[in-house]
Amino acid sequence: MEITDETMNHLAELSNFSLDSSEKQALKQDLASILRYISKLDELDTTKVEPTYQVFEMENVWRADDIFPQDADREALLALAPESLEHQIKVPKVL
Amino acid sequence: MTKKYEITIGIECHVQLSTKTKLFSEVDNDARGKEPNSCVSPVDYALPGMLPRLNGEAVKFAIRAGAAMNAKINARSRFDRKHYFYPDSPKGYQITQFYSPIIGAGFIELPSGKKIRIEHAHLEGDAGKLTHYDTYSLVDLNRVDTPLIEIVSMPDISSAEEARDYCKELWRTMVYAGVTNGDLYNGNMRFDVNISLKLPEAKELGTRAEIKNLNSFRSVERAVEYEYSRQSKLLDQGEKIVQETRGWSDATGKTTPQRSKEAAQDYRYMPEPDLPPLNLSSEFIAAEVARLPLLPHDYRAKFRGTVPDDLIEILLDYPSLSARLAEVEDSADKKIVKRLANLFSSVLLAEENASLLNDKLPEAPQLIELCTMLEQNELSSTAGKEVFIKLFEPKHAAKSPRDLAKELNLLQENDSAALEALVASVLEDPATRQAQADYKAGQAKVLGFLVGQVMKASHGKANPAAVSEILKKQLA
Repeated sequence: MEITDETMNHLAELSNFSLDSSEKQALKQDLASILRYISKLDELDTTKVEPTYQVFEMENVWRADDIFPQDADREALLALAPESLEHQIKVPKVL
Repeated sequence: MTKKYEITIGIECHVQLSTKTKLFSEVDNDARGKEPNSCVSPVDYALPGMLPRLNGEAVKFAIRAGAAMNAKINARSRFDRKHYFYPDSPKGYQITQFYSPIIGAGFIELPSGKKIRIEHAHLEGDAGKLTHYDTYSLVDLNRVDTPLIEIVSMPDISSAEEARDYCKELWRTMVYAGVTNGDLYNGNMRFDVNISLKLPEAKELGTRAEIKNLNSFRSVERAVEYEYSRQSKLLDQGEKIVQETRGWSDATGKTTPQRSKEAAQDYRYMPEPDLPPLNLSSEFIAAEVARLPLLPHDYRAKFRGTVPDDLIEILLDYPSLSARLAEVEDSADKKIVKRLANLFSSVLLAEENASLLNDKLPEAPQLIELCTMLEQNELSSTAGKEVFIKLFEPKHAAKSPRDLAKELNLLQENDSAALEALVASVLEDPATRQAQADYKAGQAKVLGFLVGQVMKASHGKANPAAVSEILKKQLA
């Protein structure tokens, strides 16, 4: 599969990356070679193989519905954000 | 009114489940009245290395919600990641069930009898809440990963009114099933409405617009009406409908295009590797289904023929009233049930008594006794209402209505000798002489005045029907 500039721009946008043109060129080549490598798998007939969703054979793993006190308090968590205001995370305006 | 275009509507509804903790973390799921970011764990914050742990109760709630929608519960389901970047989701993806949802096809039956098919419903985590200011936005993560079920209807809805009825019936069903607090004002249930128009003879559906995030039945109805007029004008002018997401404003009564969260709808779904799949036994599913309480259609079946249909629909908006009425229905006859339904509507649904709805309802045996007393004319209807209201007061709450009526001196006087004496005393009063003469002269309606005088003399306790009979006899 060929990676076009358009595909690169789309992927960058979806991943929330801003890339300059030299980065884009480099990544374009990397991605193309990764896809070439992976495409080796296309040689196999997998139509009758169940996809692997999980590598552990576990099912029905859940917890009880009980509230547990958290070690990390609100201010400690908010301190991890670049900016906060009124106990909330402050971000550039989005709408 | 006949409309030129046929309208086709499908609705997606997000229901917040009222579990104690969130879907994937062990923090308080009820953030009502709590400070922003006070119900948040490192898992909700998506700190590196944090792993989701599934809340088993949310799985059980989903089973009950599904059964309440007459849906097939899928034994096998699993979770997927839906990727997007937005400040309301620290993980950068939402955990949802894209490929294998827990709830399969079902239906909701409207009060009109029409069935709206449910395509499927799935479990997922809610996003955080953003508040927008002039130059910045603030993020509150209290709502992150509150358990949701998203219920996807088939495009079976064909009018604004039907869209409202569907949302209301879905709300009732979820509230009666006990899976949500159903507080619409606080966003416990939110509706996305897909609307398209086509000419009746057209075979294919038209292009649809999706109106996002409606949170009242009225706004659902109004948004559909607005979209009909917007889309029909465009079609009349030979223009094309753009497939897009639109927002609704209650203030302007209009929908407007919204910039999409993701420029391209490319969510790159992938199986969630951190949550093992569900494979539920039929016993496990059956045990949850068996816990379902009575649902709106059960109540309708119970009350139909005893209580007028429109009153049933009104009472269904108040789950505690329907439940108590059903309890009374189990052990009392129809007359009593009907009286109680009327008492509920005339007293509790009156504006001035609205606060009583938040208080503890009198018990079924008390209500049966009260309605029996009314039925047997031991209490006038006014006195009956008074006793009923007093039963809500903590100091009277444990009393029998009969004792309370005695204590308040409200028992109706039915003893004929006593009533005859009362009537005689009123007729001896010179103030009633003119009225007596008028009545004898053929003015029948003066009787009402005389009955009123006897009632007054009895301090409201005389049985007015009996008084009227005695008066007629004595004045004949």
